[in-house]
Amino acid sequence: MQIQLDQLLPVPLKDKILQRKSGIWNENIVFNPGSFVKIKAPSGTGKTTLVHYLYNIRNDYTGKVLVNGKPWSDYGRNEIALLRQQQLSVIFQDLRLFEQLTALENIELKRVMIPQPYCTPERVQEMAARLNVTHVLHQSSKTLSYGERQRIAIIRALVQPFEWLLMDEPFSHLDEENTRRAAALIAEECSARKAGFILTDLDDDQHFAYNVLYQL
Amino acid sequence: MHAFFALLKKIIRTGIGKGRFIMASLGLGIAMVLILIALQANSDFNQLLYSDKNQNETADFLVINKKVTNSMMGQPQKMVLSQEEIDNIRRQPFVQASGLITSSKFKVVAQAPGELHFATDMFFESVPDSFIDVKEDDWKWEPGNRVIPIILPNDFLNLYNFGFSLSQDLPQISQETVKALPLQIVISNGLISETYTGHIVGFSDRISSFLVPASFMDWANEKYGVAGTATTASRIVIKTADPSNPALVKFLNDNGYTTNQDKLKFSKTRVIVQTIVSVIGFFGLVLLFFALLVFSMFIQLIIASCKKEIQLLVTLGTAPKQLQRYLLKQFIPLYIVIGVVSLLIVVVLQYQAHVVLAKHDMAVSPLPAAWTFAGAAVVISLVYIVNLVTVRKYILQDQ
Repeated sequence: MQIQLDQLLPVPLKDKILQRKSGIWNENIVFNPGSFVKIKAPSGTGKTTLVHYLYNIRNDYTGKVLVNGKPWSDYGRNEIALLRQQQLSVIFQDLRLFEQLTALENIELKRVMIPQPYCTPERVQEMAARLNVTHVLHQSSKTLSYGERQRIAIIRALVQPFEWLLMDEPFSHLDEENTRRAAALIAEECSARKAGFILTDLDDDQHFAYNVLYQL
Repeated sequence: MHAFFALLKKIIRTGIGKGRFIMASLGLGIAMVLILIALQANSDFNQLLYSDKNQNETADFLVINKKVTNSMMGQPQKMVLSQEEIDNIRRQPFVQASGLITSSKFKVVAQAPGELHFATDMFFESVPDSFIDVKEDDWKWEPGNRVIPIILPNDFLNLYNFGFSLSQDLPQISQETVKALPLQIVISNGLISETYTGHIVGFSDRISSFLVPASFMDWANEKYGVAGTATTASRIVIKTADPSNPALVKFLNDNGYTTNQDKLKFSKTRVIVQTIVSVIGFFGLVLLFFALLVFSMFIQLIIASCKKEIQLLVTLGTAPKQLQRYLLKQFIPLYIVIGVVSLLIVVVLQYQAHVVLAKHDMAVSPLPAAWTFAGAAVVISLVYIVNLVTVRKYILQDQ
């Protein structure tokens, strides 16, 4: 699956962006399948906005986001759902877990959303063990710390098949050790699927062997 | 999908406004029962009217003549049906067949044989053979036969047996005896007079007259006919599928015709029953409409109250189709249960109607009609469609 940006420019940030140089906004960019992409961006430059555009939950932009050569606006609701179930996964900055479900149920929801789950329940347990969240799996997600929730959101994003993984500051609330573990798990899962990812963060980091670096 | 729906159940709570939902379900049930009863009552009434089991044999033959009024008395030509009037009667949609009743143009005297000492002036009439309900092999006459087959009205024998014979101290006569009695029939026209033997071959409820075969009537009118006597018919017998047809009653009244009123009495009953059935059906439909309204509002309420959750589900990749299936799955089984229960109620009611009516010699089927089942299917489909449209509309609108 190829993701392509064609003169993409967020309407609310237009004036601010046009005053300075950006490696993403208002450019023609192609994200090649399987590549590890890092987008570094200071606060307020539209990092989260970009992820939302790529995931198609916002569309207040000019220009185009092309998925397999087709702009998001040409996709139907059920087509978009299918893409999100099979080809495009996401870790939101604000995590977006269901508070009325336990941590495990949040993961399960995504796992059993497709008729033939990609992961086994055992694999979920393994991933939880790797990220040190096994002990909170049966707690209501409301009661988890932000760091624990972040790791649950990461596992949730990894239980589905995907060709691209979008991550918006995925390690913001993790300590170094847990960040290292999470990054290793993500890299492993991406390689297993021959998938690429697009990660946005505030600073430089060495968590992954990035193929491409952009400055937003 | 089951595991997914189980999780959805924790996210999209369908429990809110349950009271309203139960009321609406009750409303749907009552509406359904009313509609099904209306359909079933209609079918039962038709069965009572048209089914072979309930057909009394006079039901579909009517003898029509003009009403005799004071102003007509003494003017026999006013009683005659003109060709135009006959054609008009035949043109009516409810007339399946018609036959003119031909009167004799000669004088007839009947005498009972032997000791009975009974003689009377009488007359004959004939109708086309297809209108004769006494199918006797000897309902035939050919020139040269001295025996004339005769059909008497049932009422005639009753008048004799229960009126005349009792008051005159005469013996009562059974149908069999009458059939065995050879009557002496003297036919004359003033010039010639001949004696025949009359043989009663049957009794009719259908046409109140003394009937002879049409072949004899034609022959005898030719031979004994008095010139100048009535040559046109004043009575016509029609075959109709439904003597209670209000259109038929109206036609008769409009044209000043009359017939055996007893045969038409069903017409009034039918109008009343149809009105009652229509009112029941109408209330059923109104109730159904409100039940549908409440259901669709209830679904709207659920979707509105879970707006954020539904949005997040869709963000995570849940297809609108999946949500739609989930939501419909929460309600549709209940509708089917309501449909089945309503049908069962109607089945029980119909069976009771069958038992009660059977005691009065009226036959209705012990099971509801196919129409009733079809009606239940239609109502359930309607409810399903309204639910589907509502769910679709609000699920899509929400994002």
